[in-house]
Amino acid sequence: MSETPNYDNMYDAIVVGAGLAGATAALTMARDGLDVIMIERGPSPGTKNVFGGVLYTPRIRELTDFEDAPKERYVAKKTYSMLSEEGDETSVSVAPSSWREEPHNDSWMVLRRDFDEWFAEQAVDAGAMLVTETTVTDLIKENGEIVGVETDRPDGELRAPVVVLAEGANSLVSEAADLKQQDDRDNVAVSVKEVRKYDREKLEDRFHIDGDAGLAAHYFGDGACGDAVGGGFLYTNKRTVSIGVVYSIEDAAHDDKTPDEVLEEFKQHPAVAPLVRGGRMVEYSAHAIPEGGPDSMPELVHDGAVIVGDAAGLVLNSGVHLEGTNMAVESGYHAGRAISDALAQDRTDAAALASYETDLRNSYVVENLDHYGWFMDTAAEEKEFLFDDLPRALGQAGDAYFKMDNTPKDEHVSEAKSHILDATGGWLGAAKKAWKFRKMLS
Amino acid sequence: MAATSDTSADIEEHDDVWVFVEQHDGAVASVTWELLSKGRDLADERGEDLVALVMGEDIDATDIPQQCIARGADEVLVADDPVFEPYRPDPYGEQFRHLVETRKPAVALIGGTHTGRDFAGRVAVPTHAGLTADCTELEMADGRYEMRRPAFGGDALATIICPEHRPQMSTVRPGVFPAAEPEEDRDGEIEDVEVVVDESETMTEVLDREVGDVADITDAEIVVAGGMGAEGDFEPLWELADLLGGEVAATRDAVEEGWIEPARQVGQTGKTVRPKLYIAAGISGAIQHLEGMDDSETVIAINTDPNAPIFDNADYGIVGDLHEVVPELIEYFEEHEEAIPV
Amino acid sequence: MTDGWNIVVCVKQVPDADDVSIDPETGRLNRSDAEAVMNAPDYNAVEAALELRDAVGGTVTALTMGPPNADAVLRVAVGMGADDGVLLSDPAFGGSDTWPTSLALARGAEELGADVVLGGEETTDSSTGQVPPGIAAHNGWAQLTYVEELEPRPDEGRLVAKRDVEGGYERVAADLPVVVAMGFGENDPRPAGLHRKIYAEADFEPETWTAEDLGVEDEVGLAVSPTQVGGMATADPVPREQEVVDETDELAEQITEVL
Repeated sequence: MSETPNYDNMYDAIVVGAGLAGATAALTMARDGLDVIMIERGPSPGTKNVFGGVLYTPRIRELTDFEDAPKERYVAKKTYSMLSEEGDETSVSVAPSSWREEPHNDSWMVLRRDFDEWFAEQAVDAGAMLVTETTVTDLIKENGEIVGVETDRPDGELRAPVVVLAEGANSLVSEAADLKQQDDRDNVAVSVKEVRKYDREKLEDRFHIDGDAGLAAHYFGDGACGDAVGGGFLYTNKRTVSIGVVYSIEDAAHDDKTPDEVLEEFKQHPAVAPLVRGGRMVEYSAHAIPEGGPDSMPELVHDGAVIVGDAAGLVLNSGVHLEGTNMAVESGYHAGRAISDALAQDRTDAAALASYETDLRNSYVVENLDHYGWFMDTAAEEKEFLFDDLPRALGQAGDAYFKMDNTPKDEHVSEAKSHILDATGGWLGAAKKAWKFRKMLS
Repeated sequence: MAATSDTSADIEEHDDVWVFVEQHDGAVASVTWELLSKGRDLADERGEDLVALVMGEDIDATDIPQQCIARGADEVLVADDPVFEPYRPDPYGEQFRHLVETRKPAVALIGGTHTGRDFAGRVAVPTHAGLTADCTELEMADGRYEMRRPAFGGDALATIICPEHRPQMSTVRPGVFPAAEPEEDRDGEIEDVEVVVDESETMTEVLDREVGDVADITDAEIVVAGGMGAEGDFEPLWELADLLGGEVAATRDAVEEGWIEPARQVGQTGKTVRPKLYIAAGISGAIQHLEGMDDSETVIAINTDPNAPIFDNADYGIVGDLHEVVPELIEYFEEHEEAIPV
Repeated sequence: MTDGWNIVVCVKQVPDADDVSIDPETGRLNRSDAEAVMNAPDYNAVEAALELRDAVGGTVTALTMGPPNADAVLRVAVGMGADDGVLLSDPAFGGSDTWPTSLALARGAEELGADVVLGGEETTDSSTGQVPPGIAAHNGWAQLTYVEELEPRPDEGRLVAKRDVEGGYERVAADLPVVVAMGFGENDPRPAGLHRKIYAEADFEPETWTAEDLGVEDEVGLAVSPTQVGGMATADPVPREQEVVDETDELAEQITEVL
């Protein structure tokens, strides 16, 4: 065979995973003149990624010509609905006119298979190398320093001064290399999603959208995913609708329902069923989402390596805000900068790479995580209220308040109030709950 | 710009529909009768003759030419020489090229067997023929010969034409066209043609040939196939196949488990079958398997998983274990023997 | 000591068969969403070529005819272990059916001094299987199709193949040079080593030859192709009753109707 060159230490950095965090790190480093190689286990970037979902794009717009990116619809409207298992729905709908204008609040629904591939291409155009269908199985350590990776290919070891671990929510390599603990079961959520295909016109009619406008709908309560802490979502793409549920794996383990059963029940709720009727299922996927908040983040910086994206637990689930993609990009960006700076001084030790963590902590990413970290704990404490009593109470209150019969309206108001107060535990109880959740507004 | 006049044929000078008679040691491949039947229709529509071409050894000791006439051929050309047995592409190719050059057929039909496609692919070059493989439809439309075949794994149907070159050649798989009944009182001419190839010119040597011991499921009218659901036990399937007069087949997984010989594998990397009846027992219905049997007339599915894709690709199905269902079917047909054709 | 054989393996870039679909709104074939990949049966051909080189020594050169970005399939072959790759690319090749395609590849193989030319059994997009025999015919070489196994006999200057034939198999010995069409799925294609893959994709540069380089500029393209596509229609999938019955007897009755 003609001679095969040895690529050990020919690249300045190895990026494990070419998803959003990895590609951003690679793009940033490549633009700084570094030689970077991304190693992706899927046949192309994005094929192994699953999200709802909405991409939040402020940093992406800074880094790339986002108007050239393959995308579906921008979020013109967001709705939040409480569903009770009795079939009630109470919702709030938000559609500021400013969202209809560029940059559309930097919120776009995309198909990961297409977007991630395009995004990784931007890194390749900047000079990074991409190798696909190759799985990194372990890190190579020498004298406590990470000096490269092992992969599943023959002749599969590759060394480089720095490794960026952007392997996503199933962070088997980081765990194998003892860089992080396996997530506690109560720190991980499971998400199951279906994509249904419709005629474009029918979809636009059904959701009252046109042009590139789209709807992002979120659902909570035991009508969404039963007893588990979590919720349902529905996002409109150009010709398809993504519908799914996200809920805590701990609850999944105790419940006798499988994730796909939970999804089926959600789809059958009277508020949801008409929205997903018909069409053809074209995709079905499941994925893990780290949900542990700032306290379950692993050590981000090591000698010769950094961890970014979902692998670093950088996901926000405050119930109202569901974010992960923008934080992946942000962390990849800061990691790339830190590595460039460190290598410029010929250093790869954790101290030299520490600016990654500092910058990340100062950015909105960790601030938001801290801010809302309590939400997951509080939600778990108030599970019954939030996901069971409140949705039902709202439903009953709505029923009472709007009832068209021959009794006077003030009797309706009384009845409605009493449903809510029963659920909260009177006025005092309501005040206590409001205090508990004050952080949502502060 | 590429030239056309050197390679295109003088259309006026070419006529007649030819059928390549595939025979091995005196045994004619059944696809030949199907092609003679279709060829007869085409020749009638074109107002031309149907000519059968036989190459082999000691053909006059067989009744092959007579059979061809009984099946519709107006003329049979026989090239008889030891060099032609067994089949090899180089002597067959050279002989065919000579015959095409001297006799100028307009259309040539060849069976889509491994022999036929090996042969057609070679001879299309020196004759500058327009060759289309695996045709499922052949038609005269407004005087134009149209060949239709599946494209993109069956998602599309392409119509291929050959406007300026002759002969127009088509390979057709066994089972696509029906075979007409022979008519013993048909008339036709048999001609022994000059053999233009010599053993010294050949480039290949057949060292050995083992046929007959290995199953050939491609001709079967009834196929009983098993997959992973058989769990190593194909006994009930063999019994049912024997009872109904059919062949046993299997998925690639079952073959790789060693439960059955590879020659019985149906699918993308196995055989393609088009039987009247295909019983898929313990087969999930993966696309790679479907590709090998989705042209079956009627498909019956037996599987324990109600969500198995095979049910969407079957006409009738039952959710159950084949080790229970198949014996029940055997019982039924043992009691209703009259239902089984002879 | 033998010099080994000069082995050429023909590969083709095709749309990923799993991704090609009919656009429900336009009724037309949608190839653009499909990734361009190497024709699946070609992996078996490349593997067979590498196994021949392992056995008798020599070199393996991948050869493909296609647009400039078809170099991707040469890189797949080189990644697996092919020594080199040549791309035949020229607008003049556009619209070629199997006749001029096999001519161009035949001239390319001749130019490379091939002793053995391998190809996949057929492609997943055109599925004619006509190119390997066509290459053999253009060069007046021996051919072996539907090959399950190969046994090189360098001392005899011959290659023996076990061929899959209806009802069994045959073993045929062919004089070199010979063209081989390898059966789909007949061997286990080896994975590309990591460093080899990086080399193939980052640093390897194939040679590109034009129609003129091969001396076939007047003999390729649409005008010289005997066959043309006269039409393309979406094929309706075979309609199936999709009826599920509860009792075996009912099933038996349906079977009886068919018999």
